[in-house]
Amino acid sequence: MLWTLALLPALIGAGVIFAGAGRSRVVLGLLGGGTMAATLALAVAAVSGGWTGVLPWNEALRLTAALTPLSAAVALLVPVIALPILVYASAHEHRPGLSQLIGLLLVFVGGMELLVIADDLLTLLIGWELVGACSWALIGHDWRVRDNPRSGLYAFVVTRFGDLGLFAAAMALYAGTGGFGYDRLADLEGPLLHVAAFGVLLSAAAKSGQVPFAPWLFRAMAGPTSVSALLHAATMVAAGAYLLARLQPELSAAAGWSGTVIGIGLATALTGGVVACLQPHAKKLLAASTSAHYGLMFVAVGAGYPAVAVLHLIAHAAFKALLFLAAGSAGEQAETFALHRLGMGRVLPVMAVLSAVGALALAGVPPLGAAFTKEAVVTAAGHLSPWLAGGVMVAGGLSAAYAARFHLLAYGRSREAPEAPPQPWTERAAAGALALLTLGLSVLWLPGLRPDTPHAPLWEVVVSVLLIGLGLLVGTVLARRYPKAGTTGAPAEAAEWLGLPALLRHGIARPFERLSAFAGTVDDRVIDALPRLVARLGRWLAGFIGRGDRRVVDAGVRATARFGEWLAGVGDRIGEAVSDGLPEGTARLVAFSGADARRLQTGMSHHYYALLAGGAVLVIVTIIALS
Amino acid sequence: MLTLAILSPLLGALILAFATGLHERGARMLAVAVSAVPLVLLVAVWIGFDAGPGAPQFQAVAEVPWVPSLDVAWRVGVDGMSLALALMSALLFLGSIAWPAETRGRPRAYYAWFLFLEGVSLGLFLVLDLLLFYVFFDLSLVGMYFLIGRWGHGEAERAALKFFIYTLAGSLAFLLAILGLVLASPQGLTFDMRVLIDMQPLTGTGLYASLVLLGFLVGFAIKTPLFPFHTWLPSAHVDAPGPASAILAGVLLKMGTYGMVRIPFSMMTETFAAYALPLGIVAVISILWGAIVAFGQGNLKRRIAYTSVNHMGYTVLGIAAAGALVSGEAAARELALTGAVVEMIAHGLITGALFLIAGAFWQRGETYDLDAYGGLAATAPRLTGATVLAAFASLGLPGLAGFVAEFQIFAGTFAIYPWLAGIGLIGILITAALFLTMLQQLFFGPLPPRWSKLPDLGRTEGAVLAVLLVLVVVIGVYPAWLLTVIDSASAVIVGAG
Repeated sequence: MLWTLALLPALIGAGVIFAGAGRSRVVLGLLGGGTMAATLALAVAAVSGGWTGVLPWNEALRLTAALTPLSAAVALLVPVIALPILVYASAHEHRPGLSQLIGLLLVFVGGMELLVIADDLLTLLIGWELVGACSWALIGHDWRVRDNPRSGLYAFVVTRFGDLGLFAAAMALYAGTGGFGYDRLADLEGPLLHVAAFGVLLSAAAKSGQVPFAPWLFRAMAGPTSVSALLHAATMVAAGAYLLARLQPELSAAAGWSGTVIGIGLATALTGGVVACLQPHAKKLLAASTSAHYGLMFVAVGAGYPAVAVLHLIAHAAFKALLFLAAGSAGEQAETFALHRLGMGRVLPVMAVLSAVGALALAGVPPLGAAFTKEAVVTAAGHLSPWLAGGVMVAGGLSAAYAARFHLLAYGRSREAPEAPPQPWTERAAAGALALLTLGLSVLWLPGLRPDTPHAPLWEVVVSVLLIGLGLLVGTVLARRYPKAGTTGAPAEAAEWLGLPALLRHGIARPFERLSAFAGTVDDRVIDALPRLVARLGRWLAGFIGRGDRRVVDAGVRATARFGEWLAGVGDRIGEAVSDGLPEGTARLVAFSGADARRLQTGMSHHYYALLAGGAVLVIVTIIALS
Repeated sequence: MLTLAILSPLLGALILAFATGLHERGARMLAVAVSAVPLVLLVAVWIGFDAGPGAPQFQAVAEVPWVPSLDVAWRVGVDGMSLALALMSALLFLGSIAWPAETRGRPRAYYAWFLFLEGVSLGLFLVLDLLLFYVFFDLSLVGMYFLIGRWGHGEAERAALKFFIYTLAGSLAFLLAILGLVLASPQGLTFDMRVLIDMQPLTGTGLYASLVLLGFLVGFAIKTPLFPFHTWLPSAHVDAPGPASAILAGVLLKMGTYGMVRIPFSMMTETFAAYALPLGIVAVISILWGAIVAFGQGNLKRRIAYTSVNHMGYTVLGIAAAGALVSGEAAARELALTGAVVEMIAHGLITGALFLIAGAFWQRGETYDLDAYGGLAATAPRLTGATVLAAFASLGLPGLAGFVAEFQIFAGTFAIYPWLAGIGLIGILITAALFLTMLQQLFFGPLPPRWSKLPDLGRTEGAVLAVLLVLVVVIGVYPAWLLTVIDSASAVIVGAG
């Protein structure tokens, strides 16, 4: 029953891909939004009804689905965020190919729901890789520009490298326990537990755009805006952090796991913050901030608070989707995503207000819900060490800086209002819904509704707020004084993920291409040389024998004759029917093949026939002689 | 029933050879009709097949004595493994025969050779007599030799000859091994596979047993092909017509791996187990080498051909893991063997489809050069869709057949040889990269003007690919119906050890 949650959007999506061509924007919007509403209704029913799902393949392989409180929250979140994004997509994105885009987005959501409801590593892996494949198609959506499918490939290959970790984890779990269910992870120990724990971590880090995999999120910006919004907010990238939170109780038993999770998360949060402060491209700025915020969720998981991580995931989903839609609308008007050329405050006043809500949430300004969840991460980190809490606060300050920079550049009032094409009201409505959600999450601060999170010491709150204020100030200065920061020189290089893409290109991609070319040459020249040598030897031998003593050949002929007589005798014994039918049929077949062989005119094929026949004779003779 | 499935295409080939009155259309209709007969018969056998516990291993058995003094007989019968393989082969033959072909004015000969090849290929999977197995093994070479040589392009004759000699050398090794095995039997001569499996004529790792095993493995490694015996494969594929390539990759390569399981694995279990690790290492080298070399190929067919080396490497890895007699890991070994058999089926369907698609490219563009194409998604959406689906299936995307196979192989192998499974995993990353770059070069980017009129898939082409790919999806999503039958065989094969 729970399977319907994944199947419904996936099947409708497939239908839209095949049969949706040429439909109007309204129809596609209703289809997309309606499917998400239905998925949400299903999710509510599934959560309240405690649905589960089992699909056995064979004894070893059983697909299972179940919901825990954590996964129920994410299962509800996905359609909530996807609904406005699909409505926005149907109004905003370009034709042709709009129906494919809407259909793929629906399949994408289906894959995400599958990995959320999964209760074993096999089911998880299926959803996990389906989401990856969808991202390939979505990022390369505008395939007429050659660079876009290349970016899709980059994203798929990098995340698939991470998927190998999940394969390894599944293999280790099966080797240790004979099954793939999450519940068996608790029984795992020793090296197998390490393989499973770090395998899951590898794939989560790759999916969630953590260092060193972060650059794929930049390449993913080649996709349409709505794809970026969905990818970063509620699907794909969210999968990594979600999975870590879901499996934290079992995996944290592996020594060194929690520390590594924290290390990766904090490193990404800080470097991502710096990169975002320097990035001159509106969507890439948001992409770097995505990596940074998932880094914060990693820190919360590593510190032992998976629920805090999921809370921040929810808050992040709302404001990040909103910011991407805002960036998309501004970019559409300006026909560029270069931040210093946007400034759409006068052109899109409503969007500017909505963008401000998102930016304040990104900055972590109370009383927005995102501020609450970020402070919860700080507190969770503080339970381990004040230094770690300090690191998270600095990341929060950076977040405030780039949030301010983003909003002031993208929706500042630096330009005169030009003649602009009208913006469809549905775009504003979609962004507005997300802004309402972002504002609505402020209830998290209310005493009665406060989730059960760790309590913060006073000094943390004070320092944190100070750093946010400082960050806002720095971001404002950056935006006002240096609007073109990151477009040239060293800052531009740093803005490209601190040179990480170049490192991957020259350290892995290029050497592999060279290796592949070299292996191809070796295959042709060296490995194929042996059979060629044998063939040459054979030809030489044939010539030698041809020139050789005729008596040998004569003897051979006489022997063949005797063999023929003997064979005739055998033939008699086998019986009339066979001996009648066989030679006749064989003769005809041989004549038939002979005709073809002549046409081939290789002049050598009869040798091989002789060899073939000789082989069969050899068997019989040897057996008779030896038995 | 099985006998009829073997003989009907052979009979069809004879009729085509002599029916001089038939023209292109008639020959084609006849061939398609005849090749559907074994499919129907095998489906009937499948429906009647008992995969429950306690059922006999070989079913639908028939036996007619032939040379009693050597105990050679016409013996046919299937277990879950051979039935699944035969069914897949019959389907692929029907699709390849139905695929629109350039018969160069000799339609009768073309279709006759195809039917001949179908008969001997099915024969190989269905017989239970070692001598007949050998005969069919060799005859399949003959059929393929003519299909490549006569209807290929480029240096077809040279490629056909290389294929023929190389694989013939393999079957010679195989022949010597058969002799060695049969002569070692302690209770009199027999070629009955069932008896040989029960009897286990050779055990231990003495020189004699090792040499016999080596003969089998080299023979099958050439056919499969495994590194370093694979160099005949790309040249044979490049110059072969599309449908022949599909059969070569989809059916003929499986003869090597099927033979490996049926003969050395089952008949000399102990010796096989002793050498399972080296075999597994060779398999992993094949996985990586095939993928790495494929990545560098700029020729569509060579690229797909090398991925066959990679995929057959997965299969052999699963077989090696299943053959290792590690105590207490029977479930994992069974999983690995089931995975290997599913890989054979999946690879047959997927790579069969890919080679048919490559044939479609040749018929439209007369070149396999990837750089020559681009942007075709604009003019040929159906071709694009089919290729994307087949490519993703081949790179092992979940929800498609290849994943079901590879996941089981890796999960099963990891319990036996963790390092081999871990290293082999890298193969699925490289195949992802190489298939996606292939798609990118063929279908995306700007459309070169010379291809602006490139026709999309025709009705027949579309229907054939749709059948193959729908099956790929069905196996990927809900493989239980297939796994039940295959599991019934792998449980016996692994448990027998």
